[in-house]
Amino acid sequence: MPELYLRLLNRILTPLLLLLAIYLLLRGHNLPGGGFIAGLMAAAAFELQILSRGHDRVRRSIGPYLNSGIGLGLAIAICSGFAGLLNGVFFKGLWFDLHLPLLGELAVGTPVIFDLGVFLVVVSVATSYLLGLSRISDSAAPIPDGASSLELSDSFESDPAVVADDSSLRSER
Amino acid sequence: MALSANLLAAPVAAPLLTAALILLVARWGGRTLIRHQVALTALALCLNLGIALTLFFGAAVQDRRFVLQFGNWTAPFGITAYADGLSATLLLLTAIVALAVYPFAVATIDYHRARMGFHPLYLFLLMGVNGAFLSGDLFNLYVFFEVLLMASFVLLTVGAQPAQTNSGIRYVVLNLLASTVFLVAAGVAYGTLGTLNMAQIAERLPLASEAVRTIFAGLLMVAFGSKAALFPLFFWLPASYHTPPPAVTALFGGLLTKVGIYTLFRSFTLFFPELLISWQPALLTIAGATMLVGALGALAQPGIRRVLSFHIISHVGFMLMGLAVALSGNSLAIGFGLGAAILYLCHHMIVKTALIMAGGAVELYMGSDRLASIGGLVTRQPLLAFLFFMAAISLAGVPPFSGFISKLSLLQITLDTRHWVVSGVSVFASLLTMINMMRLWRESFWDEYSRPSRVPSRLLQSTRRQWMMLVPVASLVLFSLGLGIFGEPAFRLSMQVAQNALDRDAYIEAVSPSALYSSDLRRGAFNATVPTSPGGNNLPSVMLDDLPSPAR
Repeated sequence: MPELYLRLLNRILTPLLLLLAIYLLLRGHNLPGGGFIAGLMAAAAFELQILSRGHDRVRRSIGPYLNSGIGLGLAIAICSGFAGLLNGVFFKGLWFDLHLPLLGELAVGTPVIFDLGVFLVVVSVATSYLLGLSRISDSAAPIPDGASSLELSDSFESDPAVVADDSSLRSER
Repeated sequence: MALSANLLAAPVAAPLLTAALILLVARWGGRTLIRHQVALTALALCLNLGIALTLFFGAAVQDRRFVLQFGNWTAPFGITAYADGLSATLLLLTAIVALAVYPFAVATIDYHRARMGFHPLYLFLLMGVNGAFLSGDLFNLYVFFEVLLMASFVLLTVGAQPAQTNSGIRYVVLNLLASTVFLVAAGVAYGTLGTLNMAQIAERLPLASEAVRTIFAGLLMVAFGSKAALFPLFFWLPASYHTPPPAVTALFGGLLTKVGIYTLFRSFTLFFPELLISWQPALLTIAGATMLVGALGALAQPGIRRVLSFHIISHVGFMLMGLAVALSGNSLAIGFGLGAAILYLCHHMIVKTALIMAGGAVELYMGSDRLASIGGLVTRQPLLAFLFFMAAISLAGVPPFSGFISKLSLLQITLDTRHWVVSGVSVFASLLTMINMMRLWRESFWDEYSRPSRVPSRLLQSTRRQWMMLVPVASLVLFSLGLGIFGEPAFRLSMQVAQNALDRDAYIEAVSPSALYSSDLRRGAFNATVPTSPGGNNLPSVMLDDLPSPAR
């Protein structure tokens, strides 16, 4: 259920988390960070969205792109390896010095592109896990009143509503 | 040379890139999109076969070793991919099996499973298997084991039938335990030898203490033995192989245990060839027990696929027997056992896949694979009956099929080295195989025709699908026949492959993990200090781990 303070916090935290993710992604080649951690950070931002706005809305907005995200990320990561072939060996790094007007010199290379691929894979995989988990927790939610947490497993198996819900979930997939 | 070494990346990169494209372009839903997925996957499988053929001719026939240091980072620091004849042979057979099973899979996998991503998972599994055959360091071997474990786990459970989930959990728990043992072994190697590169481990292991070597070998034996389904550790296999769709079982039966066998071959020949002598009684006991338990277990099974999965275990025992006698005997016969085992491995991958597909076709026509409730298919499916029979006698070892030549050569070296008991056990297990195969054939094809319990009408209506099921089986049976008829060149080639695999100095030299030390660093360009190794063994001071990265 969307909580008020969570929704307020969401407005501040989501952009911050995404910015932090991009920062971690870009510094990751030489310093702590990198595609994997940045991907988890961005997935945390999406999880915040799921918690505050409900998983249905998040699924509607980004759900269709998650599989493509995994594919795109893998393709980018592999293609950065193929770029190394130009330099003789698979996955050999290619580096360019970019002269940017304000930031000065910036070294851009294929490892950064590889990291971008990893980032996309991790964001997409982690977000689709989180969406899947939130749907399962929704379908398991109606526990009869007075059932303690110890009886949870029993009620889960015997409750026909839950079982029916589960089978509908399976066919929906 | 640079280009051909880069070819080593292709068996991993091609399936991965295709799977990524499928995820990206041809997403889950829609029958048209699934047709696109099938086309892409078939393209990748053909490409993979081409790459594997090229590597096979380069490495096995022309007798070369390919080494790719990813990103040009030299051996102990970077990731090494390595292919010699053994790896290339297995890559080729994997490509053949994967390509052969695929039409069968397309014909028999239902729309629901295809929508859940069956086709990209097929490619991910292929990538994991290929990567395991190519990896030149222990940690990447572990990673590729995990890749193929995860892909196979999803292939096993996709569809979410209760029996599938049940067997999937057993499969994944037992395999994860084996992976954990493998990870511990890698930790032992890194903690005591300071490296994970397989060539460097081979180089340093003779310097390590006896205890380290024994523990390392034992851990690897448990981990790989469990993957290969050796005697006390095989329980995951019969628990899981009969529940997924037949196409998945055929793929698993052709590929998964063979990765375990390959790693056993590789680790024993590269890391501790001396244990092939000193552990020989234990290895032969395990091999004999595996053969016997697999064949006897198959005798008691009620269903086609259960019988066939127990026979996988039995035949893994034959391959281990070949490995165990690889170094014994007179000096002329060095590698004879391993060569015979490699030939047996090839024969087994081909024939077992064909047989599981044929059994799967029986199951699909009859609606069940319980031997008691099926029968009489010979009048309805004469071609299937013929192919099943041919594959069955090939598995049992009847000439002129490949089973005969591979079993004969294994038996010959085992008798030559005077291991009477285990060779007797192997003959007995072969006899049991024959009995079992004849039982399968008689029960499925010969009895009174029993009406199928539930007919997959779609299958019986479409002749195209029927051909897609039968042509792969037929081509694999023909391959087995060819391997049997051209047994002598095949055996000569596998002998050459085996002797190359046993040549550990050439492996080390090809990867040359210590080239860096020998050039600049040994001359004092580096402030070398003796590492404090926990094992307390006296490694030479040049064997350091914390060296700076080589120049890009």
